[in-house]
Amino acid sequence: MTATPILEIDGIEKHFGGLAALGGVHATVDSGKLTAVIGPNGAGKTTLFNVVTGILTPSAGSIRFMGKDITDCSVHEISRLGLARTLQIKSVFHGMTVRENLWIAAQSRRGVFRPFTGLKACRAANERADALLEELQLTHLAGQEAANLSYGDVALLEIGIALATEPKLLLLDEPICGMGPAETERTVEKIRELSKRIDIVIIEHDIEVVFDISDDIIVMALGTVLARGTPAEISENADVRAAYLGDDDA
Amino acid sequence: MTAAAINRLGFVVVALLTLTAPWFLPLLVDSFWVDIYAEMLIWSLLAASVNLLFGYVGLLSFGQALFFGMGMYGVAIGVAKLGLGFWPAFGLGVVMATAMALVAGALAVRLTWHYFAIITVVFSLIFYFAALSWKPLTGGDDGLSFTMPPIVSIGEWELSLTDPTVQYYFIIAIVGICYALMGVILKSPLGSAFRAVKENDHRAALIGLNVYLIRLTAFVIAGFIAGVAGALFAFFGRYASASYMFYHVSGEAVVWAIIGGAGTLLGPIVGTSLLIILREELSHAWEHYLILVGVIVILVVIFAPKGLGGLWQALVRRIARPETPPPSTDAKGEDKP
Repeated sequence: MTATPILEIDGIEKHFGGLAALGGVHATVDSGKLTAVIGPNGAGKTTLFNVVTGILTPSAGSIRFMGKDITDCSVHEISRLGLARTLQIKSVFHGMTVRENLWIAAQSRRGVFRPFTGLKACRAANERADALLEELQLTHLAGQEAANLSYGDVALLEIGIALATEPKLLLLDEPICGMGPAETERTVEKIRELSKRIDIVIIEHDIEVVFDISDDIIVMALGTVLARGTPAEISENADVRAAYLGDDDA
Repeated sequence: MTAAAINRLGFVVVALLTLTAPWFLPLLVDSFWVDIYAEMLIWSLLAASVNLLFGYVGLLSFGQALFFGMGMYGVAIGVAKLGLGFWPAFGLGVVMATAMALVAGALAVRLTWHYFAIITVVFSLIFYFAALSWKPLTGGDDGLSFTMPPIVSIGEWELSLTDPTVQYYFIIAIVGICYALMGVILKSPLGSAFRAVKENDHRAALIGLNVYLIRLTAFVIAGFIAGVAGALFAFFGRYASASYMFYHVSGEAVVWAIIGGAGTLLGPIVGTSLLIILREELSHAWEHYLILVGVIVILVVIFAPKGLGGLWQALVRRIARPETPPPSTDAKGEDKP
């Protein structure tokens, strides 16, 4: 079975001054799979996410999303094509309520340049926001300002915001970093469930979680792709063991 | 009463007082306070334009007097130089201000924070000096005065701002329309987008909002509001002067907006009124009264970051009966770890 790539990264380089954060990354993300990106700190994982989502402009190379070249697209254009993302440092609208956070993300798909429309008239966004509150079990916090939420709930809300934009591909940057065991379990379950209907790429340091949930693993080191394969292949890969997993552990 | 009911009641009281001010104010104080009140409402629109940008989109503009000045000169030049009637001159002023905001905003909103603040000052200074030196058109230092054209005239009968009562009601009608307009916009999807951009512009872009276009839209609306204020002020004073375009005026509007409460719709009216009253009452008695204004600003910024409008809201929340809670979702809450 040949999988169709949803994301094609072709020779991406990113230099900061003289430093090459990404030195020619080639990778594809297949549709229908949960792909994990792992690698030591400074390997360029988050930089790669930043380039893919348009936050950073690559120094060289090109990116195609669902067959369309998005290399020169701006952040909001890429988002509108159906590529959503969460950030390593959780990023929500702190001064707005949980429901408003989800609502504006849903409405952004339907146009916000409607100065004379009341909020109640925006039915599709209202329904979407309420459905997500249910799905994420945040209904009891709907009227709370995001600033008052626990860390785990903020992380969940951020995923909810991403989902509200109805993405085809979801990039999660260390979604369980800093969580306790219960929150981790809840979030991992959510990600596993989501991966059945949305393509997901996840950056994660927790190797146990990565090997547990992913179909495909991309290993990065020093700004390039070191290896790529199924969890079984990766755990057998000698290069990866040497560079990252640590020979002795095996 | 619920908080919403208290706010509604407060609004009705203030609206009734405003509508009846020409009768009851002269009973309490000197009758020129009716004029001063009208003037406060005009200036409050300038503060409201600062508030729209700072309180709702997170852009601190120190250049709103530029658009005020454009509105003012549009009217004065329209009437005095082009021989326009009342409404065409009004329209010219507002269109000039809005167009200026579109041009200045297209450049300025690419920047944020201090860079944005600086470029708004630079823009307003450029046009201040242009207005000062282009004497044949603007009258420079002396300003440009004009005779008031009638609002409407049908045969012998005409309605004109030369009648103080007409002038007062005309001003509160236009000011009222502007606040109603802002109120509607802020409760629309666009208003939500404004707040999203203010809260977190990176996240806003990541959910697909065009941050640049949203900021520019806010800047143009703010320019429009400041332009209406300037046009009204020109009719009110029957003249235009470059001195109202100086960045000092922009700075005053920022102070009014912050004291009144950035991010509250009617806060600018409170802030503007309070400080204009202070100016009227204190400036004769004590030439350094601005020291007091400075102290008030510092106190408000430290102790009431949402200004007097925010204090009012906190007070209302304290005395109000809580709103009926939403239907209980406890059953779901229990599954949570």
